[in-house]
Amino acid sequence: MEALYLLIPMGLLVVLAAALIFAWTIGSGQYENLDEQAQALPDDD
Amino acid sequence: MNAAAADWSAYDRPELRSAIATGLPGGREEVLLVAEGMHCASCVGRLRKLLGPQVQDLRINLASRTLEFVHDPRRQALSALLAQIDAAGFEPQVLAQDAGRTRARHRRRAELVRIGVAVIGAMQVMMLAWPTYFEGGAIEADIAALMRWAQLLLATPVVFYAGWPFLAGGWRALRERVPTMDLPVALSLLIAWAASALRVVTGQGELYFDAATMFVMLLGLARYFEGLSRSRAGERMRLLAGRRPLTAVREQGGTTQTVPLATLQAGDLLRVAPGEALPADGELLDETAQLDESLLSGESQPVLHRRGDTVLAGSLNLAPATLRLRVREAGSGTRLAQITRLLQQAQDDRPRVQLLADRYAGHFVLAVMALALGGAWYWWPQDADKALGVALAVLVASCPCALSLAVPTVHAAASSLLARRGVLMARPRALARLTQVDTVLFDKTGTLTRPDLAVAQVLPLAEHDAGACRRLAAGLERGLTHPIARALTAGTSELPPAQDIRLQAGGVSGRIDGRHYWIGAPEQAAQAVALPAGPQAAQASWLLLCQDQRPLALFGLRAELRPEAPRLIALLRGQGLAMELLTGDAEAPARALAARAGIAALRSRQTPEQKLARLQELQSQGRVVMAVGDGINDAPFLAAADVAVAMPQGAALAQARADVVLVGDSLSGLATLRGVARQAQRRLRQNLAWALGYNLVVLPLALGGWLTPWLAALGMSLSSLLVVGNALRLDTGER
Repeated sequence: MEALYLLIPMGLLVVLAAALIFAWTIGSGQYENLDEQAQALPDDD
Repeated sequence: MNAAAADWSAYDRPELRSAIATGLPGGREEVLLVAEGMHCASCVGRLRKLLGPQVQDLRINLASRTLEFVHDPRRQALSALLAQIDAAGFEPQVLAQDAGRTRARHRRRAELVRIGVAVIGAMQVMMLAWPTYFEGGAIEADIAALMRWAQLLLATPVVFYAGWPFLAGGWRALRERVPTMDLPVALSLLIAWAASALRVVTGQGELYFDAATMFVMLLGLARYFEGLSRSRAGERMRLLAGRRPLTAVREQGGTTQTVPLATLQAGDLLRVAPGEALPADGELLDETAQLDESLLSGESQPVLHRRGDTVLAGSLNLAPATLRLRVREAGSGTRLAQITRLLQQAQDDRPRVQLLADRYAGHFVLAVMALALGGAWYWWPQDADKALGVALAVLVASCPCALSLAVPTVHAAASSLLARRGVLMARPRALARLTQVDTVLFDKTGTLTRPDLAVAQVLPLAEHDAGACRRLAAGLERGLTHPIARALTAGTSELPPAQDIRLQAGGVSGRIDGRHYWIGAPEQAAQAVALPAGPQAAQASWLLLCQDQRPLALFGLRAELRPEAPRLIALLRGQGLAMELLTGDAEAPARALAARAGIAALRSRQTPEQKLARLQELQSQGRVVMAVGDGINDAPFLAAADVAVAMPQGAALAQARADVVLVGDSLSGLATLRGVARQAQRRLRQNLAWALGYNLVVLPLALGGWLTPWLAALGMSLSSLLVVGNALRLDTGER
């Protein structure tokens, strides 16, 4: 049970990281115009 | 585009910058361009490589050939960027920036972040809360306390960040003393959070973090979907606005000149390069032109136009050659500007059901808060914990969220579905009346028939042959915009020079080669002429051309029935609608046309007053009447109808009091319209019934203490999602 003293705070940190990463992905606009990547050609160089 | 290369510097001037760029904090500006040369995915890659290092937030859309970016004009002039894009071969075209579009995107991003925080937080709170659901579990007191503190830590950002729109809305409702549904939501969130936080500190009592976070998450989702359906309806308007170019190439005395749109006047000659949007409505001067009018009419196929046709601002020149046109309407007079205005007006239109629902919601909110207080007061003596739970459950369970979402989402979904079919709901509130319509009154010219007349027959009466007579008639009518004039001038070239052109009683007169000519209705002529007889001739309207008062030729003009009319009328009759044709025309041609269209009831030689009287007569018999007209000549008639449908003719589109505008220029929209209206009404009734029924059933349960707060939150949010989803089904299921 003592492991929970460590695991719960760690879990909270992971959640914080997940929220921040999600906010960043939204801010970078990568969910807008989802067709763009599908239409793009592979970048050769 | 070499001629324009020198013009890029114009885009650095402040007066144009305010129109094309949206200011952002820190002096940066956001710009929207169309890159005509961008045809393939590798073009996107090249542009990305070229611009990526120089600008921020670059968004390239291959389908619409647009690119948007944020740049800092103090570090790099926009003209320098444009010159680079041009040099790379992409022919940039700067579009008027629409602040609403930028705002909407930023709002959507913020909403998504809030929802993300709510989802992530709510899931974690639930993970930490579930061990405590089992009473008598073997959790050590310290671990339990840790879990409770962790829940507080997780729930706080969910309530105060993700739930901020609700809290702010509740505060606004309180300050303005207008009870909205945000008020009970905000109250319940705050009470649940504060009570739970207190219990975390004191170390005992039940926590409501799970209920509060779930409420924020699900209600946030419902709101997001509602906003999405609304913005989809508004998307078309933004596209329309974005299609307006800012400059035009004007031809003057053999030279061309790039001028701002505001300086254009009727009669100007314009050139439109391949792939560019037409800057004004006008008359096509080339032999043929291929235009993409999809934004204006919903027609996805390219439309072929011939010399003399009216071409519309906002359509794209698809031909590989430059197109020439003579301006008829510029600026706010164009069809594009009027459709944009109509859409704007449609968004402001609040249907009666909505007003009712809003008012009801207001009273309801007050009643709910009173009930919550009453419930708490009743339970308090027995169990203070229980009292708090009951108050929360009542607040949450009976929040009229679903009720206030029920109507607008249906209207937004129906409007955006119809817009894609070329039917524009200028007043969405007409949807309700549409389903009750049992009688349709049609106007003839421009409605059942094509707006343009055609010369069906030329009967020479003197020595001049038919061709010569046509040229003379065209010379007289040149420059006039009446449908008769357009019919007579269509397809003619090398017109004889005419002077002293004058509009006279029933006709037009003028001088050609020194002789006096007159063309007009035969009854108005100085000398009586026998009109040809026979069924063919009876379908035409006749015009007489005279030279020095001597009859030269008779012109038979005929309006062509719209090809889709007979099928549509059969379809409407199949739905049990009575139909009648009201026209100002003579009996014989009107009768012939009605027979071809399949309408039995006919009233000919009707004045506008008589049309109106007939409409009111039908209405007094209890009929619900839909009037279909061109929106100009029959404005009073349309205004009195229960549902007014206008075919977009001429300039007065926005002035016409039409509920529905068939921008697709085809009657087929009428069939779609009825179907969609019926579906929308059904969805609306379902939504209202569900929302009301849900609130009524759940309220006693919450008051009786059988409904725990988390169950109430789940039910309420799912109910909202159900209502929004039911509305969206209308739009997406029909694609």
